[in-house]
Amino acid sequence: MRRWLPLLLAVALRPALGADGDAFFEAKVQPLLVERCYECHSHGKKIKGGLTFDSRSGWEKGGDTGPALVPGKPDESLIIKAISYSDPDLQMPPKKKLSDAEIAVLTEWVKLGAPDPRGAVVAKKFVVNFKEALRHWAFQPIRRPESATSIDSFFSATPRADNFTWLRRVSFDLTGLPPTPQEIEDFVRDPSRERFVDRLLASRAFGERWARHWLDLVGYADQIGTANNVPAAHAWRYRDYVIRAFNADKPFDEFIREQIAGDLLTTTSPDPLIATGFLVLGNVNIVESDKDKLRVDVVDQQIEKVGKAFLGLTLQCARCHDHKFDPVSQRDYYGLAGIFGSTDSVWLTGRGVWSSVTFTELPQTDRERAQLAERTREHEQTVANVKHDIAEARERGHVLALHLDDEERESIEKQKADADKLARDLENRLRHLDYIKPTPPVAHGVWENGAPADTRITIRGNPHALGDEVPRGFVPAAFHGQPPAIPREQSGRLQLAEWLTSPNNTLTTRVAVNRIWQKLFGEGIVRSVDYFGLRGERPSKPELLDTLASRFVSEGWSQKRLIREIVLSAAYASASRTDGPQRRFRLDAEAIRDAVLTVSGDLAPCEGGPALALEFAENVSGLDPKNVNPVAFSTSKFRPEQARQRTIYLPVVRSSAQRGPAEILDVFDFAQPALFTGQRPITTVPPQALYLMNGPLLKTQAAKLAADLHGDDRARLAQLYLRVLNRPITDAEAREALDFIADTPNAWTSLCHALLTCNEFLFRL
Amino acid sequence: MNRRHFLRSTACGFGGLALNAMLARASAPHFAPKAKRVIFLFMAGGPSQHDLFDYKPRLAKSHGERVGVKSLPRGIPVGTDKFLTLGPVAQFAPRGQSGMVISDLMPHLHRITDDICLLRGMQVDNPAHDLASLQFHTGGFNDVRPSMGAWVSYGLGTENHDLPSFISIQPGSDVRTYGSAFLPAAHQGTVIGSVPADLKTPAIRFLDEPTASQRREMDLVQRMNRRLLARSEQDAQMEGMTQSFELAFRMQAETPKLVDLSRESKATLDLYGVGAEPTDKSARACLLARRLSEAGVRFVQVTLDGWDHHGDIRGALPKTAAKCDQPCAALVQDLKARGLLDDTLVIWSGEFGRTPWSQDLSGTAPIEKHGREHQPESFCAWLAGGGVCGGLVHGETDEFGYQTVNGRVHIHDLHATVLHLLGFDHERLTHRHAGRDYRLTDVYGEVVREIIA
Repeated sequence: MRRWLPLLLAVALRPALGADGDAFFEAKVQPLLVERCYECHSHGKKIKGGLTFDSRSGWEKGGDTGPALVPGKPDESLIIKAISYSDPDLQMPPKKKLSDAEIAVLTEWVKLGAPDPRGAVVAKKFVVNFKEALRHWAFQPIRRPESATSIDSFFSATPRADNFTWLRRVSFDLTGLPPTPQEIEDFVRDPSRERFVDRLLASRAFGERWARHWLDLVGYADQIGTANNVPAAHAWRYRDYVIRAFNADKPFDEFIREQIAGDLLTTTSPDPLIATGFLVLGNVNIVESDKDKLRVDVVDQQIEKVGKAFLGLTLQCARCHDHKFDPVSQRDYYGLAGIFGSTDSVWLTGRGVWSSVTFTELPQTDRERAQLAERTREHEQTVANVKHDIAEARERGHVLALHLDDEERESIEKQKADADKLARDLENRLRHLDYIKPTPPVAHGVWENGAPADTRITIRGNPHALGDEVPRGFVPAAFHGQPPAIPREQSGRLQLAEWLTSPNNTLTTRVAVNRIWQKLFGEGIVRSVDYFGLRGERPSKPELLDTLASRFVSEGWSQKRLIREIVLSAAYASASRTDGPQRRFRLDAEAIRDAVLTVSGDLAPCEGGPALALEFAENVSGLDPKNVNPVAFSTSKFRPEQARQRTIYLPVVRSSAQRGPAEILDVFDFAQPALFTGQRPITTVPPQALYLMNGPLLKTQAAKLAADLHGDDRARLAQLYLRVLNRPITDAEAREALDFIADTPNAWTSLCHALLTCNEFLFRL
Repeated sequence: MNRRHFLRSTACGFGGLALNAMLARASAPHFAPKAKRVIFLFMAGGPSQHDLFDYKPRLAKSHGERVGVKSLPRGIPVGTDKFLTLGPVAQFAPRGQSGMVISDLMPHLHRITDDICLLRGMQVDNPAHDLASLQFHTGGFNDVRPSMGAWVSYGLGTENHDLPSFISIQPGSDVRTYGSAFLPAAHQGTVIGSVPADLKTPAIRFLDEPTASQRREMDLVQRMNRRLLARSEQDAQMEGMTQSFELAFRMQAETPKLVDLSRESKATLDLYGVGAEPTDKSARACLLARRLSEAGVRFVQVTLDGWDHHGDIRGALPKTAAKCDQPCAALVQDLKARGLLDDTLVIWSGEFGRTPWSQDLSGTAPIEKHGREHQPESFCAWLAGGGVCGGLVHGETDEFGYQTVNGRVHIHDLHATVLHLLGFDHERLTHRHAGRDYRLTDVYGEVVREIIA
């Protein structure tokens, strides 16, 4: 087929030089380029892969993979390789291969030295002007106020919310729970806002509330990746660590350091090791069969998370090119990629293509060791018993087999089948027992990979197309002064933590205090809480932001102190308005469920621990070692007490809807665990109303609440409104409620149910 | 009446407007649409194009020999180490006036070949189910993006204010395949878990029959809500909440009527295969899709699973085909008979196809019992109605059915084409999130103009 071509070419294409060459280009090559290549490779249309063919300099410079051709050498030219479709990863044009004649034209053109008389095209490139972008407010040093300035000096006086509204607001904001009638009565007796706030800050509920905000930013879930429900069986340790950290008021700089580099800190506590779960827990694509891609994707996720959680930047945008709006270069990205690339967080399991995330064994106290030994003894006893039962069932099966010729054949066959089935069931039980056997405590955490190294740019994120090597480093735009030096034999995570918490970093503290402000006012000083870059919102009160940021540092990075100062301000106590500063907003899923349980008196305390109930065999599958796929979990069965525990302790599933007591999460705007979310959207859609009207949570709890009201009708009504709306009932409301009760069947449960669906309960005012 | 007065005086107030505004279109179509609604039949698992749509004599000829593909995919082979060619497990022949070559595993499809456009060069970028499926539904798999249905709802708004604009029937477990990601939640798919065989089972989660006592309760709550609002100023969120209760109440009355398939004629039920095996379940789903589409739901997604044939494809594929063939073909016929096919786009596809070489996870089975591994490099899908050419085959693969040699349609291209048919320039239907404009096709996608009538 191709043999006739040289002959044809010999006639049609004279060896062309100078003007002849240009004429050949104009007659044959340019029309071809315009028709088949310009669509994706010209300034007027698109510039894919960074390559253009509308000027000589375009193909000379080439795209991401270098010059498009070597004049005179078709065999060494990428364009010829691409159009010949010889490499499945490089086939151009992608839609339809050129005809053989067209391929011959381009090959001849390259062979002729690629004559191309066209002038340069002035590029209208969309690139960020670094010098200008660096003037953006968020990259300026934090301005420390000259004198001590109170929060209220930034606001004009506004009407105050009443005491009951303030009590309810501060209780929800600090603990995610409503105040109890007892707390309200105590406050009426002793109206000290300071003491009330201090009690809230000291309660365990404080950490349970604020940890959840942090988990939203981390993409926390009890599942590794999204394929086949692989359990992140130790993720709960990270969740409990975050609760502990908030309750102990762990200085925020230490909190950062532990999460980025806890494994490198010298300490005997397991907490810093657990903290590095920050880098591991995410939407890791453990079934990715291209392991090079998996590695760079995991690194990308770590960079995105650090960028968003601590810096309020979209660093991941610089994976394939310099950031389009912000002064973050592709080299900055690969400087960070080298740090995380020198860190292990995934490994190949040996089961098919499956990878998993890394585990770290945790130090134990003597007491824990003794407890483990005790539990192991108990476990071994159970295993021995099951093994004994298996042997017995098998033996019975054998004996019955010998009697199959007897008269009662049918009955014996059935008995044998029963015995065999029992043995099989017990063997499954044994596998499950082995899966849940007591083990020394482990956490999902990272470690240094032993060969720290700089990394190479991956062109367009493709791990098989490598560009320049970039020294490990940070993001210069967000830092003034000399950044910490990364020793050659280290990954650089320790230095990254140092860089993030340095006073020279312009973003970390601003982002942190703004997040706290947003949770307490409904809107951040910078409204785009996760994005401080050029396309983000500017701070409504820049001086306030900087005042809070510098005070945060001078007060020892204490989140509790900052929260305390804010909630005791007059600005916080003002009546809520849609135009601020204090906004009203609907409670989130956790607060709604936890409040319903509190109001009905059903809420049970919890000390943390595993969220997934893997101790139930029906929640575990794929235990057969011959299985190619890893062991998988389900949430088909919950522990009975989980229905009464706070929502933060319920399992979070990545790949499917949340189930059982956790189903409310999906209904009310729970943060999708594949995203890192600083502020959840608040929507009001019909499925929420359906859930509230007909869902099991409110039905059950309304009945419990109704049964827990005592005395005559008036007394019950007073209790009910105080418990649900956290304020005294008005006379008009009492009359209205009495009318309702008078002609409604099952009146009290219905009234309780109604109150749990009204806006005054569902909103934090 | 000025705007403020209007807002105060209408019964539904600002929240009503806010909610309707969310469901109303984000932007008018950019040009005259050919399609007004979409039904997406998603064949979860990856149907084998080699045994259904893309006949390669070479595979039959080399059956049992090492496949001659030059450059095999990266990654760890599981059960495919020998790369043995597996010949087609069914017979192929030209069908319809167009002479489209399709296997005899789909006899009902033969009736509508002149209405469908067969794409033989489909492509996605990932060989894992959940990621390929995510990419098929949302365009991306490295991060969370809105699903195709959410974008369509966002772009077109709703045609029926008592129903959601995007409904997903018996979806797989991954909520992201019908999620709205960073688009307003009103655009996320409402799930009908399974099409109930009787009217007592609610089709939508938490949807119950409305009762008088529930109405009384709601009236009390709405009175309290109005008083609360009177104490403060306008509040879109609070009014939105109030309004959502009213819409939910109306949905309780409207949805059961829609889901009630007994309102259909016997001929229609038989056409789909409702009440007969093995088609019943798929038939119910497809018929409900037509009813919802007819009632104004912009995007209906139906998931029919069972296509993941890693082993014994010879025995298993015909069974799955028999479950799905008749209902899917019936849907197209039914839409056509009702005059709806012209402006309803039907999409039929799996998340990827399967390999020309065999797979045997046991390591010991004879080749007759082998299956096929996932293949994102090329696979087949078909479209019908909504302005695409019927009876057309677009795209061609190499002699092994592995790489596309012309007419490649990457999933981004398909997304661009779907939006184009609905009247949208895929590069201009955007949403600002985290400082940048996002679109269904990310930075890719070309409209496949060759298939547009």
